[in-house]
Amino acid sequence: MTDHTTPDRAAGRRSLLPAAFNLRDAGTLFGLILIFVIFGILSPVFMTTPNLLNILQQSSINACIALGMTFVIISGGIDLSVGPAAALSAVAGAALMVAGIPLPLALLAALGTGMLCGLFNGVLIAYAGLQPFIVTLGGLSLYRALALIFTGGNPIFGIPAEFRSFINGDLAGVPVPVLIVAAIAVILWVVLNRSPLGEYILAIGGNPEAARIAGVPVARTKIIVYMLSGGLAAVAAMILMGRLGAADPTMGNLWELDAIAAAAIGGASLMGGKGSVVGTLLGAVILGSLRNGLTLMNVQAFYQLLATGIIIIVAMLIDRATRGKG
Amino acid sequence: MTDPVARLKVDGIVKAFPGIKALDGVSFTVRPGEVHGLLGENGAGKSTMLNILSGVFAANAGRIIIDGTDASLVGPKSARAAGIAMIHQELQLIPALSVAQNIFLGRPMRRAGGLLVDRAAQERRAEEILSALDPTIDPKAKVSELKVAQQQIVEIARALLDDARIIAMDEPTSSLTPSEFDNLAVLIAALAAQGKSIIYVSHKMDEVFRVCDRATVLRDGRFVATVTLAETSEAQIIARMVGRDVVAEGHVSHATDVVAMTVSGLGDHRLIRDADFALHRGEVLGIAGLVGSGRTELLRLVAGIDRANAGTVTVGSATGPFRTPREAIHAGIGLVPEERKKDGIVRARSVASNIALPCMGKFTTFGLIRRKDLHREATALMEQMHLRPPQVDRAIGQFSGGNQQKAIIGRWLAADVDILLFDEPTRGIDIGAKSEIYDLIEQLAAAGKAIVVVSSEMTEIMRVSDRVLVMREGRIAGALTGPEITEGRIAALAIPQSKGGASAAAVRGHT
Repeated sequence: MTDHTTPDRAAGRRSLLPAAFNLRDAGTLFGLILIFVIFGILSPVFMTTPNLLNILQQSSINACIALGMTFVIISGGIDLSVGPAAALSAVAGAALMVAGIPLPLALLAALGTGMLCGLFNGVLIAYAGLQPFIVTLGGLSLYRALALIFTGGNPIFGIPAEFRSFINGDLAGVPVPVLIVAAIAVILWVVLNRSPLGEYILAIGGNPEAARIAGVPVARTKIIVYMLSGGLAAVAAMILMGRLGAADPTMGNLWELDAIAAAAIGGASLMGGKGSVVGTLLGAVILGSLRNGLTLMNVQAFYQLLATGIIIIVAMLIDRATRGKG
Repeated sequence: MTDPVARLKVDGIVKAFPGIKALDGVSFTVRPGEVHGLLGENGAGKSTMLNILSGVFAANAGRIIIDGTDASLVGPKSARAAGIAMIHQELQLIPALSVAQNIFLGRPMRRAGGLLVDRAAQERRAEEILSALDPTIDPKAKVSELKVAQQQIVEIARALLDDARIIAMDEPTSSLTPSEFDNLAVLIAALAAQGKSIIYVSHKMDEVFRVCDRATVLRDGRFVATVTLAETSEAQIIARMVGRDVVAEGHVSHATDVVAMTVSGLGDHRLIRDADFALHRGEVLGIAGLVGSGRTELLRLVAGIDRANAGTVTVGSATGPFRTPREAIHAGIGLVPEERKKDGIVRARSVASNIALPCMGKFTTFGLIRRKDLHREATALMEQMHLRPPQVDRAIGQFSGGNQQKAIIGRWLAADVDILLFDEPTRGIDIGAKSEIYDLIEQLAAAGKAIVVVSSEMTEIMRVSDRVLVMREGRIAGALTGPEITEGRIAALAIPQSKGGASAAAVRGHT
């Protein structure tokens, strides 16, 4: 006598769960289309192909971070340290590039730096049992400090031209950063929906104790998730570094908040156990097109911030209203 | 239907949710000073009825009449104003606040022109109310320091503060010990003697017969009957709840001599000490004992959920104690936990996903889950177990307790463990589904699985077990086999001894 409605028959009136997830993504897509329609009417430039590609390009860094964040959030955690982890990866990679280390090795080292940050977070969370919020808040200061100490606070210039032209290039008109993030998204979609790791992440976020008793390797899964988030922060850092031609130790300020916003708009629940790759991508593009559109219309930056805030809250209200009441 | 002395008259209540009618024209009356049971299987509509009485849901049709006046119940406040108080199964107290603060929560006594809460006055008033219920409760104590039974009394005190005329209790004994239940029964009788009407929802027939005067039986949202308990039998009521006769079957043993698991000297240096036992293939080993005697704790040690500090667990070539559930599962041990929602299921995930958790590797090729194979095997397992509705892609949280239990058992069959540990396997499960679970346990034993069943229900222990271990204060106090398994002998072993000589006499007295 623990259920509050008549469960057997109550089940009949709800749709299947996978369908419900798609429904949530469809809602996010509808929001995006609405924004497109409004800006399309208000600005003649908005709906042109170059501008749309521009939006994708501008959204790609946040999308990259937000995908890692989505996995962390689904697992029931949070990663506030992504910006500084990105900065530390960037300065490590840049320093090696400038020192003449072959490009692939330098990139791997940058990726490794980001994953190492994630490993540090993950071990403290999984084995020391500390709260993700606090651990990654500590990481936020720690990794930023390391990046600043390592560089003396100065940006590292002299990123190899070949790397810069690769990142700034395109394939059939689609910017390389967009392609990189798209490829990552496809892989992560498969991981979340088709791999044991995805099942483990969803189970741990949904009910950590039940997952443990069912034999899920909880600690290992958590560590992998934070390493993924750190690794994707490094990828985002490489993209930005290629575009700017420099690695700035102050890079990535407030990235964590944009990423959390994109994941939340896309349907990730900060309670864990729920979230979607497609939704997060759409969330990142919603934030990107909002900024792009408002800039096109010469709206002051202050109002852009206002609009972002409103979008997040409206998205959460709609989320709440459309979700079945417990 | 007219009852001149009705305190509460529920008249033709209808409550529909999209697609289903949870209540369909339910009518019954509760008299002043009466303890009225509300009975039915899960899904019969008891919870919906309580939710309507407490103003959480609004009825689509029908009337609630309290002391002759039509009460329109919209929202919990209106129910409280109408004199109805709810004691929920999961107590609704704030652990960090004091007893007095909890009693006056949402209706504080004020001073300084209403600006400040008058704590002193609240504590005095709380003490007055509590003195009649349980004088050992200190109004200043934090609720988190109280036992569950005492917390329940705090909730009752809150109901009395509101001057409730009708107190509805939802499964009030689900976490009480037998002696705490005795106290509650006395308290309920005292409240009834003061003219309060009590609505008592419970699964446990012996409690209902002890506490209630009359009872209303619901089935599938419909009123079946209101019966006077002195004039009926447990079997008659169960037949009315289920809609058919439930026949208790005899016990057949499938135990072999092949040892499946040996536990030796297992302990956790907190409660469990020196646990020694062997478990055989095909055997159903019951573990009985009082609440707090360490039955659940022992299971959790064996299953690697809690860490053991002493002793060994040997399963085939694997030797524990296992440090994680994962290790224990690899050795072939699966646990069906008592608290399904907390320890068993991942609500939002499908039945198939919940089943696959321990044995993902079995359904994975090149890192990808073969969804079709998983779906096929989960469907086959659940068809065998009569999952209702038979849809393994549906979120497990949408199923009833009994069906969730089938999925958790199915999980261990998919993982092909040799040893199944059941902790209170039928808690919160319909009477109809109960016998299905018992049949399943017997089938598993017949198939050669080694099974341990922890249960607080004597009838359950006696029905399923080939052998019974009785626990007392963290130790295995004794083992009973076959005809030795009687309620008296179990009780004699389970009850803590104060002095050696006295207890020996008690044991003899019981047997």
